[in-house]
Amino acid sequence: MIMNYKKITSAVFGFLLLIMLVSCDALLDTDPQQSISEEEALTTPGNVRAALIGAYSLHRASTQYGGRYMFLPDLLADDGDVNWTGTFFQPREVFDKTISPDNSFTQSVWTGSYNTINRANNVLDALDVLDAAESVRVEGEALFLRGLAHFELVRVFGRAYNDGDPTQNPGVPIVTAPTRGIGDDAQIPRATVEQVYQQVISDLEDARDQLPATNGIFATTYAASGMLARVHLMRGDYENAAIEANRVIESERFSLMPSFEEAFNQETSPVEHIYATRVTVQDGAHEMRLYYASSDFGGRADIDILDQHLERYEDGDERADFFYSGGGALRTQKWSTFTNIPIIRLSEMYLIRAESNLREGSSLGDSPINDLNRVRNRAGLDDFDDDLSLQVILDERRVELAFEGHLLHDKKRNGESVGSIPFDANQLVYPIPLRELEVNPNLEPNPGYGQ
Amino acid sequence: MTYRYILFLLISFFLLAENAYAQQSTLSGVVTDSRSGEELVGVNLFVEETASGTTTNLEGRYELTLNPGTYNLRITYIGYRTKNVQITIESDIKARDFQMVADRVDLDQVVVVGFGTRSRRDVTGSISSISGEEIQNTPVNTVESAIQGRIAGIAIQRETGKLGGASQVRIRGGSSVTGSNQPLYVVDGIPITMDDLSINASATNPLSDLNQNDIESIEILKDASAAAIYGSRASNGVILITTKRGREGRTQFNYSFQAGFSEPTNKREFLNTAEFFELYEEAARNRAIDDGEDPQVWIDILYDEINFLSAGEFRQNSETGEWFWRDGVIDTNWENEAFQNAGMFKHELSARGGSDKTRFFLSGAYSDETGILINNDFERISGRANIDQDVSDRLRIGMNLSTNRSVMNRLSSDNAFATPMQLVAQPPITPIRDPRTCFDENEEPIPGCTPQLSGDFTEYYNGLLHRDFSSFETTIFRTIGSAYADFNILPELALRTEYSADILTQNEEQYYGALTARGVGGNDGEGLGVSRWVRVQNWQTQTYGTYQNTFDDVHNVEIVGGFSAQRVTDSRSLVEGRGFPNDSFRRIASAAEILAGSSSGSEYSFVSVYSRANYAFDERYLLSISGRVDGSSRFGIDNRYGFFPAGSVGWIISDEGFMDDVNFVDFLKIRASYGLTGNAEIGNFASRGLFGGTSYGGFPGINPTQSPNPDLRWEQTSQFDIGLDFNVLGNRVRVETDYYVRNTRDLLLNVNVPATTGFTTQLRNVGQLENRGFEFTINTINIEGDFQWTSNFNFSTNKNKLTDLDGQVITGGFVNRAIEGQPIGVFFTREYAGVDPENGRALYFLNQGDNPRDTTVNPNDAAEVVVGDPNPDFTGGFSNNFSFRGFDLNVLLQFVSGNDIYTASGRFMSANAWFFDNQTRDQLNRWREPGDVTDVPRPTLFRANGTAPSSRYIVDGSYIRLKNVTLAYNLPRSFLNQYGVERMRIYTTGINLLTFTGYDGWDPEVNTDFLAGNIGLGNEFYSAPQARTFTFGIDIGF
Repeated sequence: MIMNYKKITSAVFGFLLLIMLVSCDALLDTDPQQSISEEEALTTPGNVRAALIGAYSLHRASTQYGGRYMFLPDLLADDGDVNWTGTFFQPREVFDKTISPDNSFTQSVWTGSYNTINRANNVLDALDVLDAAESVRVEGEALFLRGLAHFELVRVFGRAYNDGDPTQNPGVPIVTAPTRGIGDDAQIPRATVEQVYQQVISDLEDARDQLPATNGIFATTYAASGMLARVHLMRGDYENAAIEANRVIESERFSLMPSFEEAFNQETSPVEHIYATRVTVQDGAHEMRLYYASSDFGGRADIDILDQHLERYEDGDERADFFYSGGGALRTQKWSTFTNIPIIRLSEMYLIRAESNLREGSSLGDSPINDLNRVRNRAGLDDFDDDLSLQVILDERRVELAFEGHLLHDKKRNGESVGSIPFDANQLVYPIPLRELEVNPNLEPNPGYGQ
Repeated sequence: MTYRYILFLLISFFLLAENAYAQQSTLSGVVTDSRSGEELVGVNLFVEETASGTTTNLEGRYELTLNPGTYNLRITYIGYRTKNVQITIESDIKARDFQMVADRVDLDQVVVVGFGTRSRRDVTGSISSISGEEIQNTPVNTVESAIQGRIAGIAIQRETGKLGGASQVRIRGGSSVTGSNQPLYVVDGIPITMDDLSINASATNPLSDLNQNDIESIEILKDASAAAIYGSRASNGVILITTKRGREGRTQFNYSFQAGFSEPTNKREFLNTAEFFELYEEAARNRAIDDGEDPQVWIDILYDEINFLSAGEFRQNSETGEWFWRDGVIDTNWENEAFQNAGMFKHELSARGGSDKTRFFLSGAYSDETGILINNDFERISGRANIDQDVSDRLRIGMNLSTNRSVMNRLSSDNAFATPMQLVAQPPITPIRDPRTCFDENEEPIPGCTPQLSGDFTEYYNGLLHRDFSSFETTIFRTIGSAYADFNILPELALRTEYSADILTQNEEQYYGALTARGVGGNDGEGLGVSRWVRVQNWQTQTYGTYQNTFDDVHNVEIVGGFSAQRVTDSRSLVEGRGFPNDSFRRIASAAEILAGSSSGSEYSFVSVYSRANYAFDERYLLSISGRVDGSSRFGIDNRYGFFPAGSVGWIISDEGFMDDVNFVDFLKIRASYGLTGNAEIGNFASRGLFGGTSYGGFPGINPTQSPNPDLRWEQTSQFDIGLDFNVLGNRVRVETDYYVRNTRDLLLNVNVPATTGFTTQLRNVGQLENRGFEFTINTINIEGDFQWTSNFNFSTNKNKLTDLDGQVITGGFVNRAIEGQPIGVFFTREYAGVDPENGRALYFLNQGDNPRDTTVNPNDAAEVVVGDPNPDFTGGFSNNFSFRGFDLNVLLQFVSGNDIYTASGRFMSANAWFFDNQTRDQLNRWREPGDVTDVPRPTLFRANGTAPSSRYIVDGSYIRLKNVTLAYNLPRSFLNQYGVERMRIYTTGINLLTFTGYDGWDPEVNTDFLAGNIGLGNEFYSAPQARTFTFGIDIGF
């Protein structure tokens, strides 16, 4: 009898096992529905183009040109023009000049930027899938995105170019290859400030040379030149700054809007914008509005504009009227709608050309006074009728480009202190994110932040 | 022995002889369950004096014929405590009903194990049981809340007091850092869907779809030997829930009604207007002193803000220039505004019965509960049909079907301004209804206007606007059903096959009116609507055989083996629209602009074979081995299948000959087990290198989302358990103890990687952790007889230690970390050193450098160190049952000890007047002048002084709670029968009646919902207190 049972049981289990073997693998085969595998991701021209869009989609994110590249440095450089009244402690730490190494906002600038860089590198690695003509443009765009990310990183995580020796000061890690698997070789040390700037210049110059003059909402050769003008300005290379700014101006593709007001809050980028990030409700990010605007305009009303700022405007300056009251304080109107964020405006090019020409004693394109007056006149002011000094142009930058992310960098390159804090103070440099120091022993922390 | 026996016979003989002349009497009555009042069929009644007995019939009725006299009656029934009653019969007919007390730790009790049942006596693993009756009618809407404090080795914590919110359930500690730590829930053989499907960070609770009154029993499989048959999903323990089935006999109907009300367990104290001024004027003056400015400068800044917040510009006395707000006319208690009058009621009707061929259990219930927080309620309709049919002697078929609809009005996560508890941040000087809402554009009052809630004039978003102008309705339809066939191939061999499904459909409809713009991103003052659908289909089929036989009378063998396949598909869609004509239009169809739309899907599958063999020799030596092979689509291509074996041994020492003389020991068993289990909760496609979709400016894009790891596999936990069970003093004291060591390896970690790669984390199998602990349960019968007092005390310790994290430091919560050598989730932040008595500055210990115990005023100079542990040292419960005649009283105390809580909201509400957040009253105890010794630093407006994350905000969260008190009265059957009612029980229950704790926040049972996780433990952030509930109920059987 026992044998009989055994036969039956083994028959039953044998049968079950057979079912198993037949059906197992089929049952276990599932594929994601919102993703594709890394292997097939970059094998077709369509996918490579899509991967480039993927890089833009992060480049415009709130961690980057969606806001944090601009408002965090402005808060760090403020000495009484604004007040951070918001509840988020991370921007408050920046505003208080006491950034914790684990500040998630400054950390996100780091992690977000390198993510953009990796996305750009993925595109650069797959160019051979594209035909030759398209490959040139796509490469230009990817280099543009990579160059910008490195530039924004080195400006806040490294010492200013004019602070000590840029060939000795640590900048940020340079990444020029896509990540394929993550090993110890991912522990990249910081390159020097100079090395990063050279990489940025190389990327942007290639981009400038490869990008077309018009490219929809995407990067153009003039966007690259405009950004190069900024890069050279930061390095004190005024000659090249003037050349690049002049190139943008002379292209005659851009013009100042008739009124200052029209340069902002437009559904589509006006002709004054050399480069802007596209903001739509479907896939936009706009932290400038989030923190600057009052609740009536969908913001949190976290940054109050104080009287000290208004005193910077001359009588009759239309830009002084570009404020409104909301949430118990004055707010800038620059960031009051969920629309495109201008990254480079033509007035900045005039001011860079003016400043560079003035410093160099040159008059490439036009004289400094004429460039200055273009910006003044548009704001409803008369021609400047006094002796033109560097300070006049810098003051003009301060009001024309206010709250657009230039303040910290302008102060640093000109050696201006922030209140009583000298421009080269440790606390005006972001801490290298703590999480990054913990996973990458090759990274050197910034002085003044523990360790 | 022999002598006594002969004597007994002789006496009996004489008694019988005498009684032969007396008239015989009839003793009769009904035997029922003491809690449910249901009749019990087949209860044995034995009269010791006459050595005669009887059993109850299908109606639970018995009849004994006896001569007048006094008898000792012994009443026994499997699964129930034996009752010894002395009874005196004088008249002809005597009626006497008996109530039996269910006894889940009775040795003959059958416990449900994976794919079968076993008698408690023969269990060699560690399994805890609780009967459905014990938690019947507990007024909580999820089953895990009802068993809190009742079982050793399982720690249950509700995250917040939000209705329908999630609980954290840990069996023997957390075994994972990245994967899930929740146990596997198996309802009537189906591993049910337990995913959090919430659209926001406040998790839903899938267990709230179960009507706990349908539950027959809950078994908790704690050790590897019990759980390993669930293989790769058993590392966190398994909770088997068995629902009620039909029973042969008269159809028993039961109607129950319950109603009650709730309130918060605790309220905190915040500053009133007078105190607010005192503190903030001081803070403003201090700020001026620090800045070397005229104090008036900062007083003006303060008054400006207060004017704004209190509508003060309209309240200045034009003659004196005095501000009215100083008079305390506006003195708003915002905390009270967060709460509402809460109540609940429930109706339930069930029928249970059957013939010898067909048996059924049917139930339907409706409940409606209003939460303690504004805008929070929960309504549920549920039904169940469990039917069994004997087709022939060999074949039985049946089905279980439960269907449920829950409708909840839910709340934002704790992190949102809109969550009710964040109302406490509003200063007391702010009126609830702002007069400025009655001013026109020229600031002229509008005649006849009633002031409204203000959106713009409050310090923070006014969460009351959410109450009045938003809705967040979640509707869940859930059907869990299965059909089975049992076939007895041979008397010893049975085959069971099941096909089952758990279909969950959840719809979340959110609407935020135009006035909620400030509290809702993307609203833009036009109104925002979000509609989301989620459907999870969980299909399973399984077939297993059971072979049981005894050879040579001493070799008892049971073998179970089978296979199962499961596939779960999840599909979701969402649409979001903006711009609604007014608050009457709440569906996206009326939205002017569609902001976003999306649909997505995912799936996973498991294919498994499993087997278990139990062997008992001479009913004394027990052996059990089991194994399961799991294949899953979730595992990396290089590691598709995993094998999970376990074994256990038991020795019933009390049955040995040498124990015959040890009379005080009634039962003694020692058992030990060892085995391997897995944790497959690793995400569905975690092993692959993936690119996902994105877009920019309307152009579609792709981007890398995950770096590949083809080696990725389940986490493995090897567990050793040794247990000792013994009964002494005539089974009146019963003790179960366990000691276990669980080692988890191949820990899945979201390992931080350098962000320069473009990725911040990657999932890898790198770590190891260990849980070891001790469990102790003692059940005692303190007093027996008409007045009966029984107790259950359970006590568990668990020590968690992360033994290897590959050098990783993993963060979670606010300041929680996973650090090697520490328990998971320790608080890692600065160590607060108190207040400098000289100048009122907050101090922190450096904890680095040459003089680590020196202090600094700069928080950035202070190194972060481990300053607290959210894991309790021990937990437990103490339950006492008293019964007397028809009354019974149950008192349950629950305790948690040794855990810390990080009160992150303290950084705003206990921040010595940093910003305008209203402060807790303890902030009045601030430093004021040199020499003051206090823990509250000197207030300085807008300047941080002691508010950096630090141990200042870490508090001991130990507590003892009077969890449940139920007083019930079962009306006498003789009385009820006149009205055709079989039984009636009226009762009153209180939940969370008293809490004894040193914790100074709302409620020590807390873990803020939006950060709750494996590492995010013990955090408080405007988290709602638990509810204290009082209910009254009635159960009627007919």
